[in-house]
Order: sequence, then C-alpha cells, then structure tokens
Amino acid sequence: MTSYDTVIGLEIHVALMTESKFLCSCKTTFGAPPNSQCCPVCLGLPGTLPLINEKAVEYATKAGLALNCQIHFFSRFDRKNYFYPDLPKAFQITQDAFPLCTDGFLEYYMDEQLVRTAITRIHLEEEAGKLIHSGPTIVDSEYSLVDYNRAGIPLIEIVTAPDIHTPRQARLFLEQLRLLMNYIGVSDTKMEEGSLRCDANISLKPAGSSVLGTKVEIKNLNSFRALEKALEYEERRQSKLLDRGEAIRQESRTWDERAGRTITMRSKGDAPDYRIFPEPDLPPLNLDPAWVSLIKVSVPELPLERLKRLEEEYGLSRYEATFLVNYRDFGDLFFELAEIGLEHKSIVNFLMGDYARLAREHGHMAAKRLAELLQLQAEGRISQNQAKAVLEELFSCRLSAREIVEKKGLEVVGDPAALQPVVAEVLDGNRELAARYKNGETKLLGFFVGQVMRATQGKADPETVSQLLRDELAD
Amino acid sequence: MLIDRQEVMRMARLARLELSDREIDQYQKDLTSFLSSGQKLQQVDVSAVEGTSHAVAMTHELRKDAVGESLPQAEILSAAPEAMDGFFKVPRIVEEQE
Repeated sequence: MTSYDTVIGLEIHVALMTESKFLCSCKTTFGAPPNSQCCPVCLGLPGTLPLINEKAVEYATKAGLALNCQIHFFSRFDRKNYFYPDLPKAFQITQDAFPLCTDGFLEYYMDEQLVRTAITRIHLEEEAGKLIHSGPTIVDSEYSLVDYNRAGIPLIEIVTAPDIHTPRQARLFLEQLRLLMNYIGVSDTKMEEGSLRCDANISLKPAGSSVLGTKVEIKNLNSFRALEKALEYEERRQSKLLDRGEAIRQESRTWDERAGRTITMRSKGDAPDYRIFPEPDLPPLNLDPAWVSLIKVSVPELPLERLKRLEEEYGLSRYEATFLVNYRDFGDLFFELAEIGLEHKSIVNFLMGDYARLAREHGHMAAKRLAELLQLQAEGRISQNQAKAVLEELFSCRLSAREIVEKKGLEVVGDPAALQPVVAEVLDGNRELAARYKNGETKLLGFFVGQVMRATQGKADPETVSQLLRDELAD
Repeated sequence: MLIDRQEVMRMARLARLELSDREIDQYQKDLTSFLSSGQKLQQVDVSAVEGTSHAVAMTHELRKDAVGESLPQAEILSAAPEAMDGFFKVPRIVEEQE
C-alpha cells in the first residue's frame, strides 16, 4: 500500500439574500407555489433584457472583502451555454474571464492550529431552476419536475485553491465559510433549502509528490456530513484503484446518501462545450472605488476577530469563545451583559447553561432583564437553584427578576438575627435529638439544618444556619 | 476544408437540431464559406486596437432591489409541452449508471 496525499478544492454556491432576483424584479421568497415567481426575463422568453440588481453586486463585493479578496472595479459577464432542464434560457449568465473578486483567503482554526485556505475567485452568476426527480436519485428517475422560481436568484460562486488536505478540513472550512456569510448578512446559507451548496474536487498523489493526480468532481453535497463522508469514500475508492495500478477517470460523480457511496454521473451527449462568450445583453461592471470603500466600512466584525477578542480581552477559554462565536446571537448578548459590568465567566456559564436551553425554546431575552437576575445571583441574594426558577418565570411572565424574587419570597435569608428565632424553635421542638447531638451524635446537624430550611421555605442561607446551630448546640 | 461533416453533426447535437444528410452537406458548405470570409479579417492589423467585449462602449446600469410583478402560474405553464402539479415536466435527464 502506497501512502497518498489528498488534494481537495471546493466550489461553493451561495444564494444572496436579495428581495428581488439578479436580473429581473421577481420575488425570491423560498417555498412559494412552483412557477409563481417568474417573468419573461427569468423564463428566458425572446426579446427580454436583463438589468442587474445593485444589491447583488453589493453583497458579492462584501463577500469578497470579508474573504480578503482583491475587488476588481472592472468585471464582465459571460454567457455559458448548455442544455439542462433547470436552465430556461439554455445559457447561464455568469462571470468567466473577468470575475468580480480574486486572490483571497479564509483563516480558521483546525484543532489548535490556525490554518488558511486560499480563495481563487468569487464571481456573480444567476441561479438555475429547481429539479424534483421522480425517482430516489437523478439516475433512476424516468422524469423530473421543474420549478423556475429559483431561476435567476443571484448567486456567488466561491472557488478555493486545491489546498485542503483532509475531508475533515473541507468540512471545517465550509462551516467557517457559512458562519462568515451569516456574519456579513449576505445569505441565510440554509443547506437544506439549497441556499448554500458545495461541489468538491478531489485527487490523490503519491505522498510528497508535486504532480497532481487526476481529479474527480463530486456533486450533490447537501450537508456538512455529506461533504465529509463523500470525500472519505472517494479517498478510499481512489487509493484502492491506484494501489492496483489503475487510472483514475476524470469525471463527475454524485453522492448517494443512502448507499453511502459516490456514483458516476453520465449525461447524454458530448462532454460539455459551454461556448462561453461575452454576454451581449449586459455591459461590463465598472464599480466606483468610493462605493466599494463604503461597502468595506459596512463589513462587521468577523468570526475569527470575535474569537480573538473574546479570548484576549475577555479572558474566555477557546471552548467558551467558540460557543459565543458560533452562536452569534449569544455572543451579542454576552457583550451587552459584559458592558453592564457583570463578571465574564459567570455570564458565559449562565448563557451556555439553563439560558441556552430556554432561549432555544422561547427566543432571546433583553439583556437588561437578564442582567438584573445575574446581579441578584452575584450579590448572593438568591441561590443558583433559585436563579434557575426565576429564569423560567422570566420567560413566562412580564415581571422583572427582582419582582419575581419578592413575589415568591425567594430571597436568601442570611441575617443571623432573623434566623436565630427559627433555630431556637427547631431545637426546642427536638429536645431529645438535641441531647443526642450534644452527646456526640454530630451527624444529626444535617437534620436540624433541613428542619430550619423547611421552616423558612428554603430561603435560609444554609451556611449561616449551620453556624448558628453549632453555636447553639455547643452551649 | 474548415468545417467537416463531423463538426456540423456535433454542432447540430449541441443545438438540439435534427438535420437530414442533405442539410448536413449544405451546412458544411455554407459554414465553411462563412469561415473563409472570416479568415480575411485575420489579415487586418489590429495590434493598435484595444480589445473589446461590446460593440458599443457602455457602462453598467444597475437597478434598485425592488420587487415587481411576476406572471401568473397558468400563463407561465401555458407554453410547456407537459406540466404536472404546477411544475414543468421533463423526460429522463441522466442515463443509467454503469
């Protein structure tokens, strides 16, 4: 068995979250009745003229800036011709020779190591329609149904350099890319709705060799898991072939989720000949550098920057910081609570614990409302268990934390003067046991503490009670 | 010969055109003649001319991201050879796997 180096490159399609389509004014709403959001332009009817959506250019530029790309003020559209039922015009308007963005990178952590994947290019193009196959997969479908609502939605295609080395790294990269797109607000990146899709190219070469092997393209990777599993499968398949001295065939394969394997896709007719030429219906883009600068200013703090800030300025662990980065809404809430002056570690513990569970069910709570609860706990006015009960109430009523504590009489009673009479009463009612304690049966202390707690409906501070009891019984 | 019969048949397949033998011969002659005329242009010295992608020098025009009218579903499907449940229905796309 020879050992091989794996070389992976990804092509990611991200649907941009515009209100209207890329080249016409049809809606982009997901889940509308089929073929209800189409017009002569996106249906490719003769005599129509496309007009570029400014927002799509803005979002594509923003994505390029967030991925450290060079933004080209001049870029051009091309016509890529092919026959496929999801393509109503029988060509796709895309950018071939002069893309909007090139030469970027994304940095992310893989275990403890900061790694970088180069972004070769990002270009703007239009989405195709959606196909629903009659069979479980495209290869065993007698017919397919086509919905053109999706046709013409703006997309960016992000192409990485072939410098990803393992299936797991491919997955981590895609997860980080998705997070980044969410942070900059250009896409909802829902893989299950197809607004983030990934194709992967993978080849193997003898370890250390500088010559790339024959690559295979895998399509239809609809989840992070599918991406990782398909690449793992393809690594095994290709290494077995190479071990036997067989050649890898350059081809497109599709991932069969159920069978857990990739299968060859052979389309009818020739190998694709896209006959790409400059799109005659659209003049080239000539962006104003000042406009690009404005977009640059609108790029918010990105995930890796936030991670560093949480670790370095707020003293959080990688684990805690990662949680607050991956769940951006929790991160935002953390900063608001920290701003109020609460202790950082206790905020993050609280957010990752009971709060996370309840917030997922009911939605987030205003920072001020939460801060009051955390303050009561920090001051020792309520116990951790009581805080949990108050939190549940906070989600279901309009009262403030302080009001709930008062209403339920939850406050911890730690004042010895207030507790002294209760302690005396309990000892008075259990004289026999008190005598046994004095005779050395000290384990009875727990019983007395329990009695005081019961008499105060759990409000007494157990520490103070124990001390008072020991003092009393020592006499 | 700039274009042979094979090439005509390939283009016809790409364009989804069904041509008779006689038409293939005719197109082979016509296309060869077109390209021969085109070859004359190759002799022009264009070394001082800047490359262009569009015949008319224009700069882009962008529209605001605003939603407009779409066509009713029935009208959209009215041109479909076959429709089903609001969808266009198309025949088998990919051949059987090996």
